[in-house]
Amino acid sequence: MKRRALLAAGAAGLLGCAGGDGGVPLWFSYGGKNREALLALVAAFNAEFPAHRLSPVYQGDYFELLAKLRTSLHAGRAPAVTHVIAEVMPYLVSADVLEPLDGLPGLGGDLGFVEPLAQAGAFTNGAPDRLYGVPFNRSTPIAYYNGDVLREIGREPAATWDDLVSFAAAAQKGDEASRRWGFSVPVDWWFWVAMLGQAGGSLVDASGAFTLGGDAGVRALAFLQELVYERRLMRPPPGRDYNAWQVQNAEFLAGRVATIWTSTAFVRYLEDNAKFPVVCAPLPRLERAAVPTGGTMFVVPKGGPPAWHEAAGHFLAFMSRPDRSNEFATKTGYIPVTRAGITLLEQAGYYEKKPNDRVAVDQLANVMPWPWHRELFRVQREVVQARLESAVLERRDAREILDAARAAIERAR
Amino acid sequence: MTPGMRPRAAMHPYLMVAPTVLVLALFFVYPLFAAAYESVHAWDLLTPRRYVGLENYRELSQSGALWGAFSRTLGFGAVVVVFSVGLGLLLAISLNRPGRLYELLRGAIFSAYVVSWVAVALLWMWILDADAGLLTRSLRGLALPTTSWLGNPDAALWSIAGVTVWKITGYAMVVFLAGLQSIPRSLHEAAALDGAGPLARFRYVTWPALRPTTAFVATTSLIMSFQAFDVIRVMTQGGPVRSTTLFVYAIYEEVFMNLRVGRASALVVVFFGVLVVLTLLNLWALGVSQARRARA
Repeated sequence: MKRRALLAAGAAGLLGCAGGDGGVPLWFSYGGKNREALLALVAAFNAEFPAHRLSPVYQGDYFELLAKLRTSLHAGRAPAVTHVIAEVMPYLVSADVLEPLDGLPGLGGDLGFVEPLAQAGAFTNGAPDRLYGVPFNRSTPIAYYNGDVLREIGREPAATWDDLVSFAAAAQKGDEASRRWGFSVPVDWWFWVAMLGQAGGSLVDASGAFTLGGDAGVRALAFLQELVYERRLMRPPPGRDYNAWQVQNAEFLAGRVATIWTSTAFVRYLEDNAKFPVVCAPLPRLERAAVPTGGTMFVVPKGGPPAWHEAAGHFLAFMSRPDRSNEFATKTGYIPVTRAGITLLEQAGYYEKKPNDRVAVDQLANVMPWPWHRELFRVQREVVQARLESAVLERRDAREILDAARAAIERAR
Repeated sequence: MTPGMRPRAAMHPYLMVAPTVLVLALFFVYPLFAAAYESVHAWDLLTPRRYVGLENYRELSQSGALWGAFSRTLGFGAVVVVFSVGLGLLLAISLNRPGRLYELLRGAIFSAYVVSWVAVALLWMWILDADAGLLTRSLRGLALPTTSWLGNPDAALWSIAGVTVWKITGYAMVVFLAGLQSIPRSLHEAAALDGAGPLARFRYVTWPALRPTTAFVATTSLIMSFQAFDVIRVMTQGGPVRSTTLFVYAIYEEVFMNLRVGRASALVVVFFGVLVVLTLLNLWALGVSQARRARA
């Protein structure tokens, strides 16, 4: 019996499932400031709920965490609670591997979440009635400007795509060896979806079939090509996924690009590390203003013991409290996920002192919900992402690329 | 077999090899059969497996993913092998001399081989930075053209091949040095007495004696190039536009990013087939070479 217990403990250790100190395992994927903010909150939870002590385990970036989550689910050793990017939730729910949360302690009824950030408002086209995800580090893409450049060229942040072109042209300077680029955005699905929405399109039609925005999707992709090749105002950051985002942040901080689009998650990081004033602004509009939401939601994988579910319920209720969600938001730049939290910050005059934090909150009025579609994550990762890169980096015809993407989605059905 | 070598029981030889057979069966043969089984199923680890026949192979083939990974891996392997063998041999010949300076140079060149791939990748990301990188600035200083080494789909794979060559050339050099030092000095002296110059001595003495070493270095370099993963994971993540998605990275991407165990397994089976063919070619080339030497 003793040997079996030792083997079980060894297996759990190998899977990184149980916390190192035997607490209830929480897997997370934040780095830097976000990680510090989360760990401080977990410490506060553990002090308040010593009977449900959590043991946080870092598991790499979002995609690495997801890979580990899937293998741990298959092995029956999933953590008690973790967080996943919102776009993968329809797939995980359809695979029946997530615990409904509305039955857990403290998670019934109206939790006061900001609607576009919560499951009910973040998804459309057949989202389930039951609650599977609690919003925590939620974001939208926003524009970041080098404040010195704004002053130098006497401009305001761009309100339209045309403004963006003229701003980037005015801001760009220097020869090849010392160029300050006008604009940069990672060639990434998230930003393309924002542009597709701004061009008046949507990812799916009324029946839920993927249209990839139709003409609007083509227009968004063609605009990126125009900025790179015809106007030469943008150089796509090298690397894929979050590596490209990090490279772009570094270039912005080094003053090598005048304005970038990235997540509101970097507000605090960029403000703290820039040697110039950072000015945030909403993304510009074409036919309309539009942004997708990003970031993750907490989920509870199936298969854990009842004590884990109870601990997860208490933890998620704790994290959903306005003071706690505000603590994370104000330390990082993510959007506060509760209505009461935003009201508290407004009453305290926080947004007057930190106007950059207000941008993403205001943009919530223009959120495009994701379609609740089992294949959403695969369409993003497998079908569209590499084709976007191909269109921009190899200058392939935008319409042909998106036609091929739609054909690939059709084949995979 | 001498009487002293005869086993006391007929089972003894089998028992002796049993641990090796067990390890091979468990960690090599079983996973291969498991991959072959998964390759004819669609599975995402979370939902039940579904038999799909050869659909995974067809999809990989039709989408171009299979040929893309295959051609990139072969091209990458060819560049890495040719340059690491060529440079390794050149360095070994140049530095096969006594003296502290040569010792220092040999040590410095070999040191790259013992540094971790992640550290090498991070160092080269800085060197290859499209704006502020050492290489870019040096080329600009010389008024030579430059590019986004890791961001240009036409350049990224060859940039990573260059990094790989830089890292493993020290290893090739050390193996060649061992080969050079095992050639009897008397052969060179006899050739010199016959009037052979340095080039002729290399062609008729050094090179034939180094053939087995060259085959060994080429084979191990090819294996290292086929195993390339961490350098790609750190430097390009398979991009831009899949231009650095080699076979091993494609397998990783299918199973962990795209949630497709079946397609990843199909890639594993094809990759195994490629390795078998290359091994057979290698054995054939070695057999031809040995037969030729025996005739001589």
